[in-house]
Amino acid sequence: MEDMKLRPPRLPRKHRMPRMTLPRPPRLPTPALPTFSGKLHDARTATAVGRWLGAAIAVCFVTGVTSHYLQHPPDWLANVLPSRPTWGYRLTQGLHVASGIAAVPLLLAKLWAVYPRLFVWPALRSVRHALERLSVAVLVAAAVFQLFTGLLNIVQWYPWPFSFVPTHFAVAWLLLGAVVLHVAVKYPEIRAHWSRRSPGTLELPAADGPDRRSLLTGVAAAVGAVTLTTVGQSLTPLKTFDLLAPRHPDHGPQGLPVNRTAAAAGLAGVSTAHWRLTVLGTYSYQLTLDELAAMPQHTVPLPISCVEGWSKSAQWTGVRVQDLLERAGARPDAAVRVVSLERRGTYRVMEMGSGYTRDPLTLLALRLNGHVLSLDHGFPARVIAPNRPGVLQTKWVTRMEVM
Amino acid sequence: MRIVTGALGLALMAVGATLLLTGGQLKDVALWLAGAIVLHDGIIAPLVLGVGLLLAAVPARGTARGALVVAGCLTVIALPPLLRPGAPTNPSALPLDYLRNWLLLLVAVAVVAGLVPVVRWLLRKVPRR
Repeated sequence: MEDMKLRPPRLPRKHRMPRMTLPRPPRLPTPALPTFSGKLHDARTATAVGRWLGAAIAVCFVTGVTSHYLQHPPDWLANVLPSRPTWGYRLTQGLHVASGIAAVPLLLAKLWAVYPRLFVWPALRSVRHALERLSVAVLVAAAVFQLFTGLLNIVQWYPWPFSFVPTHFAVAWLLLGAVVLHVAVKYPEIRAHWSRRSPGTLELPAADGPDRRSLLTGVAAAVGAVTLTTVGQSLTPLKTFDLLAPRHPDHGPQGLPVNRTAAAAGLAGVSTAHWRLTVLGTYSYQLTLDELAAMPQHTVPLPISCVEGWSKSAQWTGVRVQDLLERAGARPDAAVRVVSLERRGTYRVMEMGSGYTRDPLTLLALRLNGHVLSLDHGFPARVIAPNRPGVLQTKWVTRMEVM
Repeated sequence: MRIVTGALGLALMAVGATLLLTGGQLKDVALWLAGAIVLHDGIIAPLVLGVGLLLAAVPARGTARGALVVAGCLTVIALPPLLRPGAPTNPSALPLDYLRNWLLLLVAVAVVAGLVPVVRWLLRKVPRR
């Protein structure tokens, strides 16, 4: 029964022990460098993985910049940010974190393929060569840095001395620039190895083909595995497979995750018995919770979409922000400043442009899925607006100022 | 076209460098960027290549390599929730049993990897009947 062998045909050995070559006498001293006799450290492998990595970095960059400007809009942008589609931020930020996670296997495979080039000798041949190596060093540093800081940020772990948001944003530009420069420098090689039948690929040993496909299948399986086990935190139909994500759609008060708890906001034990909503405008006024609940109520399905990538849709019931502003005599295109009861925090005061205030879906919500808001979800009242980062869905609202 | 693209890349890098220079935290960030290179080139890559050496003689090497790549990447994703110091005060942050889930996934990878050669063998056998 010869065909019963479980073993596929022996593949060529990939690696040999890194051989330390002794320094040669005078003239050209070569340091002890490892040699790589393994296969697949070639331009076809680098191109095949690199184009997927490039796509992941591009998606990560575009969605990241989108998030940055939604969260910190410059003045000229604040009033033109669109409130639709309602799921816009949910999609872009879910993609941001998912593409970053998917980039982990791709980056590791790409760097594995080109690792022997770290030991080329002479280390610097010319000014051009030196610049090229410098740009690759920036590329590697920025890519590893972005994935590392991103992965730690989503578990709210900050072991570094710098602030995360501005640094992650700055290094994103550095990374994208280094990728674009790298593509320009390597263009002839990328083109020569773009497909299986490209001229450069055909010059490589044909025997490596099946082994390379096997490696690429393994990398693709890894991308699938890390995606499937984390993407359920935002793509809720896949929540069953959410085994490693920092959040799970079913874990949280009232069945909805929370980013900032009342305790973290310094509100545990604070009495909201004498709470009033103050609206400042041409005709300023105050409302008790009962008076607010007596105003026309609207129920809208909107997601909470966190900058850390998780999101979940819920039914919110409350008063239209539009109605509250109109009652204060605001123009229809007025923006609003919303102040929270929370004692500290970057997002205690939030400003909302007219794109959101005009949208009938933007509410000062009192209820979540039919029940009164829990303290962690912003009792007595919180903002919920379509297509907005979760940190701007201000909780524990105490004052609204027409701008 | 290549020159224009290269110049665009340099311009984008300059934007990032300017943001870092004006951010006032350049020294710390530069240190961590250098650390990222050390982490990969000095630790991760030699480790992976070492495993590759051990793997060279293994039967069904392609499948074994694929399984290790998948398990290794799942481990990288599992490490931050596993190692983060201090219990989060927020009950909806890190709500899962990550150690159990990670071990379950490693077992699942091993089982699938074990099945691949069997399925291959069956597929090879069937058409010959």
